[in-house]
Amino acid sequence: MAMTTCLTWMQEKKLQNHFGEKQFSLLYKASVHEFSSESLLQRCSKQGPIITVIHSEDHILGAYVPKSYPEDCFIILFAFQETTISHCKIGPFQLSMLFYESDRNSEFNINLEKKEVAISINTMDKLGLPQCYISFQECEVFRCEDLLDKRRMDGLTELRESLLTAIRTYEPYGGRVCQVRILLLGPIGAGKSSFFNSVKSVFRGHVTNQALVGSKTTGVSEKYRTYFIKDGKDGNTLPFILCDSMGLSEKEEGLHMDDIPCILEGCVPDRYQFNSMKPITPGLGNYTGCPMLKDRIHCVAFVFDANSVGHLSDEMVEKIRRIRRELIKCGVVHVVLLTHVDTLDLITKGDLIDIYRCVPVKLKLEAVHRELGFALSDIFVVSNYTSEWELEPVMDVLNLSALRQMLWAADDFLEDLPLEETSRCF
Amino acid sequence: MAVRTTLTWNEEKSLQKLLGNVSLILLYKSTVHGNRISNMYNRCIRQGSTVTMIYCPKNSFGIFMLGHYPEISEGFRKLNSSIYFSFQKNKTMEMTAAFLNSTLKISNDQLEFQFPISPVQYLSLDLHKRTIVIPKLLVEKLGLNPDLGFRFLECEVFRVEGIKDAAGYINRITRATQHRNSLLADLRAYRPYADLVSEIRILLLGPVGSGKSSFFNSVKSIFHGHLTHQAIVGSDVTSITEQYRIYSVKDGKDGKSLPFMLCDSMGLDEKEGVGLCVADIPHILKGCVPDRYQFSPHKPITPKHPAFITSPSLKDRIHCVAYVFDINSIDNLSSKMVAKFKQVQKEVLNCGVAHVALFTKVNNCYEVLQDNFLKMNKSMISQSQIQNANKMLGIPLSNILVVENYASEREMDPLKDILILSALKQMFRAADDFLEDLPLE
Repeated sequence: MAMTTCLTWMQEKKLQNHFGEKQFSLLYKASVHEFSSESLLQRCSKQGPIITVIHSEDHILGAYVPKSYPEDCFIILFAFQETTISHCKIGPFQLSMLFYESDRNSEFNINLEKKEVAISINTMDKLGLPQCYISFQECEVFRCEDLLDKRRMDGLTELRESLLTAIRTYEPYGGRVCQVRILLLGPIGAGKSSFFNSVKSVFRGHVTNQALVGSKTTGVSEKYRTYFIKDGKDGNTLPFILCDSMGLSEKEEGLHMDDIPCILEGCVPDRYQFNSMKPITPGLGNYTGCPMLKDRIHCVAFVFDANSVGHLSDEMVEKIRRIRRELIKCGVVHVVLLTHVDTLDLITKGDLIDIYRCVPVKLKLEAVHRELGFALSDIFVVSNYTSEWELEPVMDVLNLSALRQMLWAADDFLEDLPLEETSRCF
Repeated sequence: MAVRTTLTWNEEKSLQKLLGNVSLILLYKSTVHGNRISNMYNRCIRQGSTVTMIYCPKNSFGIFMLGHYPEISEGFRKLNSSIYFSFQKNKTMEMTAAFLNSTLKISNDQLEFQFPISPVQYLSLDLHKRTIVIPKLLVEKLGLNPDLGFRFLECEVFRVEGIKDAAGYINRITRATQHRNSLLADLRAYRPYADLVSEIRILLLGPVGSGKSSFFNSVKSIFHGHLTHQAIVGSDVTSITEQYRIYSVKDGKDGKSLPFMLCDSMGLDEKEGVGLCVADIPHILKGCVPDRYQFSPHKPITPKHPAFITSPSLKDRIHCVAYVFDINSIDNLSSKMVAKFKQVQKEVLNCGVAHVALFTKVNNCYEVLQDNFLKMNKSMISQSQIQNANKMLGIPLSNILVVENYASEREMDPLKDILILSALKQMFRAADDFLEDLPLE
């Protein structure tokens, strides 16, 4: 019999969040290691905080023990309700009191040999359970560790440094340009400007807010901005430029669709004031008449808020598909960024460490793939700085990984260019 | 004291990757749980496959054991398939590994791994004294410091979760990367038959969405060492690829061009007037169609087209055709698609070009190959899709290739690489056959 938990991903996640963003390591499983309290205690002593989970036909309940057995401590009993977890405190006493009948604990007793839990009426009420005796099929014990412990934080900081170095020393393919231009496109309020701010913050070493960030309803960026980023306050300019456009809207107020080809070709200058009603035309203002390869967009990043990407209006979906077809026609490589992934239901900051394994995130990626047609491996999740005052290595690692992917994508675009186009003027 | 592994996070991650994207669950740590054999044993029996790590001041040493620890009923002795590996601290983790059968014997104070060679050699671990004795055999295989007995600082045991297909696991882990690398070297060194051309051209033909462009992306990803997106893929109602593309692949970002080109065409559609025109195919095969030619589903290319290559030479021709299919769609191809495909095949046969079938999107690439990675295994061959293809396309089994493109994942996987590179190698051979078969003029 395999040592894998009977909890579903969702159940495990809810428990982990309930007890403070923990990670669970399965130590004991009764059906594999015998229904014997001795066997359980042997395997689960000196393991730090542990959680015991009982699976009965109709209920999942158990006990969280915040200290290493055999220390005395308060024990938190819990039971899954339909949508929530009810809990109450007993003790203080040792973990073993839960498994042996004793005068000190008459509240909650697990008899592994009989596969039965006896619960006092008082506790039964608090946990919202319907009966005093519950017979069960399985009992599992997990060690609980903090998701973002020092060991992982050290690893993340190291990883951040190596990503920073890779990006600092990046050279666009074949030396065809000195800097690659990445265009951020997406609905109003998706987090395009915030993404720029987040990237800049990592290189600056503290959280910055150069691009003014607006709200979901109007979107603040009405000007086209091409942002260069310096490495540190007085450092070298980095080998990429993030181009921030006005947000897309299903109504008339957003970016004009006809502006997009001009942006891609590099005809739109920095600080150009967008007009939702009228696209840029040659001769208008400071229209760049003869853009070079270095002025072109080398990679497009579609930016969506992970929370709302499932509820885009039909008009917006159609708009995105149209833009995507246009990009395919022009041969411009593109990726997708899902922002605010840390605010998805059930997801916490600690999950960012291994975010692509999280079920809600997988579902989001599949939805984007299905509805908008992007390839799964082209979709990346990021986490923008919104309310943070200090840098978070785990967020930086996510954002920098996505950025490195975009640089690689830009390389693909540059490599794919016909030779004669690398010097041609458009 | 907290129960936390001595491995750094990065070391743990590379170890997980080396063992095939598994998870490691720490069960026992000698400095916390006591340094008696019974302390270790009680926590580690009936946990499935384990890794035992021994940390020395300069390097670390590990034993992966497939299956449970031995129990009382087995007299505390058990024959195991194991991998022995070592790595140095604070370096990018590279594992030197040896795969050996050994009998694990647990006694009062020692773990003893006995190697069935003569004279018998032992690896023994004394938890209480914190000493380890490594036999000469392992010292040689792992290239360790010849100092055979030393004291260690700490011993940890992990449960290994996520092993797919336990039967072939050890072989996969220890030999896949090696086999992948040797395939890569073969392909780099390949030269087309009699140097008739410097690069062979392989045409990818198949239904819309069968994974032609993804195959190119996958091949390029392997040679670049990370996932690439040069050919734009994804899904839409019609074919994403509308241009004829002749892709050359470089060996790394700034490397040399490799001796092959992958020619990506528009997808075939069962309806007339949609997708690639069958009448375009002879022109493509002869090399008359230029790179970036925009296909028109209604109108095949004619010699009047300004970019039409009127007198293509041998190097412009297609030397091998790969029919690309989604393996999951083979059993329910519409009769219209089959009919269209027959037409396509007729055109290819007329030109005498070599061909292979390439099946993409196989669900479990772990089960495709035999243990030595040299051919498809029997259960794969007996699958209805393969049999169907064999009958419908009249392609011999050895020219039916199975791959899983890089489409939804973010990490490279040596086993996927093996399938993709093996497919490419067979295409090279088919192209060689074609070149050899050419009349002298």
